[in-house]
Amino acid sequence: MLSYLLRRSAGLVVVLVVMSFIVFCLQSIIPTDPARALAGPTAPVETVERIRAQLGLNDPVIVQYGRFVVRLIHGDLGTSVRTRQPVTSDVLKFLPASLELAVVALAIGIGLAGLLAVLQNSLRRSGAIRVAIIAAGSTPIFLSALLLVYFFWFRLNWLPGSGRLGIRRFVGPTGFDLLDGFLLGRPEVSLDALLHLILPGLALALPIAVAVSRSLNGALHDVMKQTYIRTARGKGLNESVLVMRHGLRNAASAPLAMIGLQMGLLFGNLLIVERVFAWPGLGLYAVQAFASSDLPAVLGVAMVFGTFYILVNILIEILQSLADPRIGL
Amino acid sequence: MTEVAQAPATARFNGREFLRRVGWLESIGIVGVGLITLIAIFAPWLTPYDPQLRVAEAYLPPSATNWFGTDEIGRDLFSRVVLGIQYTWLPGLAVIVFSLLLGAVIGLIAGAAGGKLDLVIQRIVELFLVLPSTLIALAVVAALGPGLLNTMIAIAIFWWPWYARISRDEIRRLKARPHVEAARVAGVSGPRLLLRYLLPGTVPALLVAATLDVANIVMTMSLMSFLGLGQPAPAPELGAMTSRALDSLTTYWWLPILPAALIFLMCFLANLAGDGIRGAVRGA
Repeated sequence: MLSYLLRRSAGLVVVLVVMSFIVFCLQSIIPTDPARALAGPTAPVETVERIRAQLGLNDPVIVQYGRFVVRLIHGDLGTSVRTRQPVTSDVLKFLPASLELAVVALAIGIGLAGLLAVLQNSLRRSGAIRVAIIAAGSTPIFLSALLLVYFFWFRLNWLPGSGRLGIRRFVGPTGFDLLDGFLLGRPEVSLDALLHLILPGLALALPIAVAVSRSLNGALHDVMKQTYIRTARGKGLNESVLVMRHGLRNAASAPLAMIGLQMGLLFGNLLIVERVFAWPGLGLYAVQAFASSDLPAVLGVAMVFGTFYILVNILIEILQSLADPRIGL
Repeated sequence: MTEVAQAPATARFNGREFLRRVGWLESIGIVGVGLITLIAIFAPWLTPYDPQLRVAEAYLPPSATNWFGTDEIGRDLFSRVVLGIQYTWLPGLAVIVFSLLLGAVIGLIAGAAGGKLDLVIQRIVELFLVLPSTLIALAVVAALGPGLLNTMIAIAIFWWPWYARISRDEIRRLKARPHVEAARVAGVSGPRLLLRYLLPGTVPALLVAATLDVANIVMTMSLMSFLGLGQPAPAPELGAMTSRALDSLTTYWWLPILPAALIFLMCFLANLAGDGIRGAVRGA
């Protein structure tokens, strides 16, 4: 276990270095001149040159990259062009909202995947459910998000369709509204936060549910043909115990890997869903950064989401080996 | 992309048998994909109105004269959506073809060379696969500046490694097969062995992966377009049309919904076709 964690941490460092290098390269190929941008369009050439020297833009690229990495290690992601704030503080401000949404979406997605898998198994010969699954997998995330808003908020008015809270000016200690409501003894806040989470969470969960249920079904189908399952069945275990105790655990590896893959897509989809639902998180921050070509902010978000994605995938590998010890770490 | 068909390399192609195995639903998908490609190619001649000009009142709901209604300045939405198919479908196919060729060649080199070169290429491919590609592709487009070509480049950069891996694994598998051994014993070597005896064997697996990816690429490109990273404003990209009309959802629902529905239709048909082709190749 220890040697695995060491090896994976080394791998993580390599990936982070590559990612930071890509980000650094992107920053240096932008057509706008940062020195000129800071000095203002009317500043004389000498001023621009002085700022350029101050920023170290005349140094060799490798020196600049070194400086960039040092700043990155100190948690400095640069300054946002749009908000004029350090990107790090912006990111910390908007991150809890996105994480809360991502966790809820993942939970709904895994729950739905289980439900879909059961449904698919009980209606084995039905073509309708297969078509439904292909259709669900073909729906662009903004279409499902828009349809959810249109029907459940606008038409039926069952659930809120935008923002995080109906209660104004609520600021909790952790930034996770769901949690803060309980911490501050205001359950109505938690309930309101939960209601606001359902529609965006559902929109994000659908692609996860489809992909994971597909891979769960495939894996379960293969596992249930194994001889040890036949033995267990011969022992007289009933079918549901068989699936629960022997099937699921052995079939867990592939769906877990699929969850890992889907997390990458989830972070991309957060941008879309937060835009549709006016969700004040990191995704919406990134979308606004695109609109004002605020590159430091875009790259900061990519860096943060990317790190999360890699960490989640390490966690998933550990889970895979816990579920099936034959997969060594 | 994770499921790859295992087809014998030497199976002779039989059109009628192939269609029988595809199934009727998937056949609709394949025909639909063909139709969409035709519509995409001939889109400028198929629009009932000029997609860039005001042709009626603004915000008309869908009707017999304006099938998808009209937008905020009175342009015919159906005409714009038809042209939007061109803007979404053809670049998607181009990205697939480009990544496929690049990946196939790199995989071929890795698989055929073996040894150190193979190891190095494999590590690079793995690195690409663990990076959060969607996010970095977004950042690449943001840095290069929005535009269709930049979007295509950014997606292709992160798509070829999948094909490289498939192509490499297929080559490794084929190398051990008797027909290759026989060819080698008969004195065939070098490029001829590669192109004549190894490359054709990788085609089924790559083709299946690529057809299943058409929907993924169309989807990814629409997401980027939705985020404002595609062509600038007057271009009728489907994702961007939805995104620009978001605020009209409760008042003029057809403006955001119908372009998005067309993206759904394209992906649905492509997925059906991909499933059908995979099933048929697998069963061969």
